[in-house]
Amino acid sequence: MASGNINKVCPSREKILMKEIEQPSRNNLEGLKGWLNPTRYGWERISYWFQRLTGVFLLIYFIGHVYETSTIVNGQNAWESFLELTQTVWGHLFLIMVIGASTFHSANGIRLIFTHAGIGLGTPSRPDYPYSPSSLNYRQKSGIWIALILSAAAMFYGFNILFGE
Amino acid sequence: MESHRVLKESQIMKIHYITGIAAIFVVAIHILMRLIVPFELSLEYDYIIANYKNIIYVLILESILVLISLHGFNGMRIILLELRQTKRWENMVTVVTISAMIALIAFGTRTIILANGL
Repeated sequence: MASGNINKVCPSREKILMKEIEQPSRNNLEGLKGWLNPTRYGWERISYWFQRLTGVFLLIYFIGHVYETSTIVNGQNAWESFLELTQTVWGHLFLIMVIGASTFHSANGIRLIFTHAGIGLGTPSRPDYPYSPSSLNYRQKSGIWIALILSAAAMFYGFNILFGE
Repeated sequence: MESHRVLKESQIMKIHYITGIAAIFVVAIHILMRLIVPFELSLEYDYIIANYKNIIYVLILESILVLISLHGFNGMRIILLELRQTKRWENMVTVVTISAMIALIAFGTRTIILANGL
């Protein structure tokens, strides 16, 4: 077989020669830098960014929480000494961030499920000037704002529980 | 290569959404268990051990563990696959995330079983 050519079997079982597709160049990918750059984008992109950041943050917290609760099997002293590390002002502020991140991730996640199902996207339309995509409409924007407002309200509630007397 | 996949990406996304929605409900119950008593009391050793001896609550804890591990590590897999698209990377990410998920579920289940026996 000539170099760079591969056989492909058609649905009719006929073998055909095809030019091998080269590995795509990664020069056009910005990787993490592009992922973390919110400056060129609108609210939808910032919401995409927050969804991923809060997801990674919550997974790290969850692993830490599973480890933290495992200390209970070593007895009361082990549990209380580990608890002392978390029951501080900084520990409480960290918990408030967890409350905010989980509320945003949940509310925005529900919006994304609706969007993936095509609900709230609007009908397709001709791209006229100023070329605003019909899919990024007020329903999507209000969903993002609702997620942010719910997150702030949950953080406020958490603050009152953890710091209030 | 596609025919060797156990699940299609569309099926994995459905699992991702179902585990996410289900996790919201079970985590809400878990948080309510902390709020029905004063917060400080909810973290006391005897109260936590009593929680671990309640079989319904144990089932809720185990479901939180499984649902969030599935959802979280699949989310991590999706993020990592967005960064690079080669077959080798995809296989490596899938193996690492599934292994980490199984390890976390096993470790958390061990805590639940041991605390239930205290």
